[in-house]
Amino acid sequence: MIELRDIHKAYGHIEVLKGISLTARRGDVIALIGSSGSGKSTLLRCANLLEIPQRGDIVFNGDTVRWANKLKGRQPADKNQVRRMRTNLSMVFQQFNLWAHMTVLQNVTEAPVSVLKKDPQLAEQQGRELLEKVGIGDKCDQYPSQLSGGQQQRAAIARALAMEPAAMLFDEPTSALDPELEAEVVKVIKTLAAEGRTMLIVTHDMKMAFDVANHVIFLHDGVIVEQGTPEHVFQQTQSERLQQFLHATGTIG
Amino acid sequence: MEFCADPSLISGWRWLACYLTTPKHQLFYLSFLTVFALLAITAPVVLLMGFAGAVARLSSFAPLRWLGTIYTSMVRGVPDVIFFLFVPIALDQLVELTRHKIKCPQVTDAVYRGNEFIVCSEAKMPLQDAAAWVHQGWGFVLAVIAFSIVFGAFAANTLFGALNAVPEKQLETARAFGFTERQTFRKIHVPQMWTYALPGLSNLWMILIKATPLLFLLGIEDIVYWARELGGSKTGYFAYPHPDWRLWYFLGLLVFYLLLTWLSGKVFDRLNQRFNRQNIDQQVLKPIEAGR
Ligand SMILES: Nc1ncnc2c1ncn2[C@@H]1O[C@H](COP(=O)(O)OP(=O)(O)OP(=O)(O)O)[C@@H](O)[C@H]1O
Ligand SMILES: [Mg+2]
Repeated sequence: MIELRDIHKAYGHIEVLKGISLTARRGDVIALIGSSGSGKSTLLRCANLLEIPQRGDIVFNGDTVRWANKLKGRQPADKNQVRRMRTNLSMVFQQFNLWAHMTVLQNVTEAPVSVLKKDPQLAEQQGRELLEKVGIGDKCDQYPSQLSGGQQQRAAIARALAMEPAAMLFDEPTSALDPELEAEVVKVIKTLAAEGRTMLIVTHDMKMAFDVANHVIFLHDGVIVEQGTPEHVFQQTQSERLQQFLHATGTIG
Repeated sequence: MEFCADPSLISGWRWLACYLTTPKHQLFYLSFLTVFALLAITAPVVLLMGFAGAVARLSSFAPLRWLGTIYTSMVRGVPDVIFFLFVPIALDQLVELTRHKIKCPQVTDAVYRGNEFIVCSEAKMPLQDAAAWVHQGWGFVLAVIAFSIVFGAFAANTLFGALNAVPEKQLETARAFGFTERQTFRKIHVPQMWTYALPGLSNLWMILIKATPLLFLLGIEDIVYWARELGGSKTGYFAYPHPDWRLWYFLGLLVFYLLLTWLSGKVFDRLNQRFNRQNIDQQVLKPIEAGR
């Protein structure tokens, strides 16, 4: 479904990703863990081309992103291909990034209507159902600034779901939240995992990674140091780096 | 009114009532409409020019970007009054010169003769024998254009700043959801810009109101013209003789402008409140306000 092949990304002279490959099949839930600055967000942003990797390929549903060499470096050759990919790969951001000038319901219906050309009435009906599903059906007509962080993040998840995406990307969906609010969001993510959705989750929450993911990838300094099933990674840790990391985050020891 | 027939026979309130309704005074009252007309026409044009200027400055197409930058910085570095004097004269000469070239090609004399600018009489704009209101109207059009160019540049600056103030994340999110650049601009960027633009635009509106007496400078018979004209002392030769009352007339204008700006302030406060309550990610707005 999503395949990243040998992704390299540098900002100026700083190499952030030094050749990362990963494959997510339908129904996979992959957790990306690693210390701050290890390149997790960058990798996720490369997956939907918010960042353009200098080397490496991205394959989505058998469709390989085509490149063109422009003055400012490598760029996607086909804007429509990029848009097609993005509509199938919804992203949930750490800071929610709900559109501040729209109500919660408008946030959820805007992209389906303008991008997918969905009938506005149908979009609204489905939007309400989705907001109900994530537990904030009563907040439809409020503005994002009137919601708590946990409610905003659940609205952002509903917005992503409204695109009926083939896969979802989460960039630290809970790290801007208080522990209580975090639980609300984790619950929603668990539901989605149980539904068999394909998800790539960057997280600091080792417990969620353990509970939700079927594959865990530990990233350090732009390379994959260790990966495998949650049991494998958390309970039969091989590398010293990962052991240190798990100690530091209080997961073991 | 009947009792106004012979002003020399009346006095007190009656005299004042008659005095304040003379035909000249009616022209004075009408000239307030000139001010409102100027504001009503200029404001939307200014917004359009400002928007065009701001978008040009943001353009990825370099020549357009330069044009936008030149337009906005040119006006910023020059006193407004110079522009108000320069633009109408320049436009006037440009139009007359063009008409001269078209209408009387047989005239071979140079148009610029020493210190003078002479075009054939058919090329005059408006024609020499045109009615007074045509002259006034043409002057008004030139004034509107001058106001629009100058204030359009100010508005372009404000809108450019506001477009830049919209958090990049809001736009990036739209792109991540598959919006085209155009959709992102129309549905996210512009609607969010207004909140940031409003303080600057309200400021600009106040300056625009306060700049309207410049009409007088451009030879339009506006409220300042009439206040001077009517306020000046009138000898017994006039139907309503009185000493120099210009002070009172200008006091009247003062009150008029104060009322107008005060009212505008109220309206903008309302707008601001509404925008702030709903539209802005409070987390994002605070650092920007602090930075101003
Ligand atoms: N736009 C950018 N320009 C320059 N350097 C960048 C940019 N974005 C990220 N970096 C650098 O790339 C490195 C990896 O950043 P990234 O955001 O991917 O880390 P992360 O693993 O997500 O960290 P965190 O857990 O703190 O979110 C960091 O050292 C960061 O400074
Ligand atoms: Mg990150």
